Amino acid sequence: LYEIINSCDNSQLTYLNNLIAPRLKIDFLKELPIEISLHVLTFIDDPKTLARAATVSTLWNSLLKDEATWKSLCMKHQYRRRNSSICGGELLDPPSQRRNFSYREYFKRKYNIAAAWAHGGKVKVVEDGFGDGLVTSLQYDEKYIVVGCDNHRIEVFDTNTAEKVRTLEGHEGGVWALQFKGGEKHDPERILVTGGCDRDVRVWNLNTGELRHTLRGHNSTVRCLRMKDKRIAVTGSRDTTMRVWDIQRGALLHVLLGHQASVRCMEISGNIVVSGSYDSTARVWDLRTGRCLHVLAGHYTQIYAIAFDGHKVVTGSLDSNIRVWSAETGQCLATLHGHTSLVGQLQLSGSTLVSGGSDGCLRVWDLQHYECIQQISAHDNSVTCLQFDDRRMVSAGNDGRIKLWDIKQGRLIRNFTQPAKTVWKIQFSDTKAVVLMQRRRSSNSDEGKTVMEVHDFDIGEI
Amino acid sequence: MSVFLLSSDNGEFRVDKDIAERSVLIKNMLEDVGDSDSPIPLPNVSSKVLGKVIEWCTHHRDDPTTQDDHERRNTDIEEWDQKYMDVDQETLFDIILAANYLDIKPLLDVGCKTVANMIKGKSAEEIRRTFNITNDFTPEEEAQIKKENEWAEDR
Repeated sequence: LYEIINSCDNSQLTYLNNLIAPRLKIDFLKELPIEISLHVLTFIDDPKTLARAATVSTLWNSLLKDEATWKSLCMKHQYRRRNSSICGGELLDPPSQRRNFSYREYFKRKYNIAAAWAHGGKVKVVEDGFGDGLVTSLQYDEKYIVVGCDNHRIEVFDTNTAEKVRTLEGHEGGVWALQFKGGEKHDPERILVTGGCDRDVRVWNLNTGELRHTLRGHNSTVRCLRMKDKRIAVTGSRDTTMRVWDIQRGALLHVLLGHQASVRCMEISGNIVVSGSYDSTARVWDLRTGRCLHVLAGHYTQIYAIAFDGHKVVTGSLDSNIRVWSAETGQCLATLHGHTSLVGQLQLSGSTLVSGGSDGCLRVWDLQHYECIQQISAHDNSVTCLQFDDRRMVSAGNDGRIKLWDIKQGRLIRNFTQPAKTVWKIQFSDTKAVVLMQRRRSSNSDEGKTVMEVHDFDIGEI
Repeated sequence: MSVFLLSSDNGEFRVDKDIAERSVLIKNMLEDVGDSDSPIPLPNVSSKVLGKVIEWCTHHRDDPTTQDDHERRNTDIEEWDQKYMDVDQETLFDIILAANYLDIKPLLDVGCKTVANMIKGKSAEEIRRTFNITNDFTPEEEAQIKKENEWAEDR
């Protein structure tokens, strides 16, 4: 054999090489036992490669239909269900509850959604529908978008078509706070609670638009409210009090007395409600008894934002500090320094806290070590809206810009939409985002016009 | 303490017990037989491949035996393993089969990762060339399958 090869010239050797080289190659996925072939595929975390590999041969194509590969890819890309309370509603159906569920299709859908987030989804724009109203509050789920305006009106839209369903009228002053609950499969009725300048709290059946109760008692503007469930709601007012209501029967249960100034913000978890006030304290209350359990004193000036996960209370203040407190003991666990101005935006999820300040900065904090892990100069002016989940973060500022961020790297993904004059409110879920803002009527006019954009990211292949 | 391993072609290998026990198969066998100096026959592994496998087990003799799933999912291959796996496809193939037979999960993972890396980032045609695979789709099938798999391209 050696003699033969030695007597060959280069072109003959090349010929031989071309003849032999392929024979030394092995179609691993075909020759290996199938479970090992599939194991090989689980180490490919790039969907592009997997999709291309599916076009190699019939055998490869059939292997790539295997669910385990796509399941593992789903895990790697963390395409899982997320906590609905964090993202505000809408979720994709969980894998286990769908018949004929395919991880491949699930991955594909999630992958397409992620691509749409990165490049822009389908946007529906609603320009007429708000009159001259300025927007104060927003909440949406998979069926309804509810917008509270300072022109006394509450506008309800269909989330899918962005068409107006109805206007809830009755408040005699600007609406400042709203929340609704319900709308689940087993519990389709949605109860909406609203409050505002006319001091009244109104309870509505959101699905029908029927007014259930008008709750009177506050002596000044209702500034914030939170529902525990469809039975109990708490309102906070400029009259310094908070009130616990039975919204099913329409009765006052408790008046929470203690704050010395306007109650600006509150959160509920279980039977505990926490409130932040312009008197520079926060308070922890027991909903069932109406008793104040702790006064959280430490800030030097007004509290503007509060977050609460049932254990930790986080407050943001005009004194530019963030404080973390224990709801159980009332102790201040940490003071987070960094912002140079009012901290008006807070969201807490797991051990991650994100804060937005009037200094235009976003800060991501790790509450296990009380460290700032990201500092982003996001806006020229105050951060006015902020929301994050485990993949992304959306912020808006007084500079009229809305930005989408990669929360892990603190990197700007893209400007979310054209700059506005003012951004009132934003909310997003896995597949949608709703933005309420004021745009200029025309480029040479300073007059504003309220506009709503509904962004849809579940639009299949683009 | 050392053990005697006998390959399919009657190659004899004397290795330290802790090295041999990287293989769960051998470990179980040793537990069954107790301490004895009779050779352990490994009829599915040739001398050439067994030598390679022992080389790997020797280098990794002090690795912690339990790895969490997350670590196993990691697709990086450490430098020594990369060099170790820099062999012709047939040897790689035999190492993977041997690791599977001998039940040495970390080695199986490294082998599978190596194959995965040969696939990653390649076009279908490049993959076919790499593994000498014939495109056995009819033109109609190929067009259909290409279409089905376009979604992941260039995002």
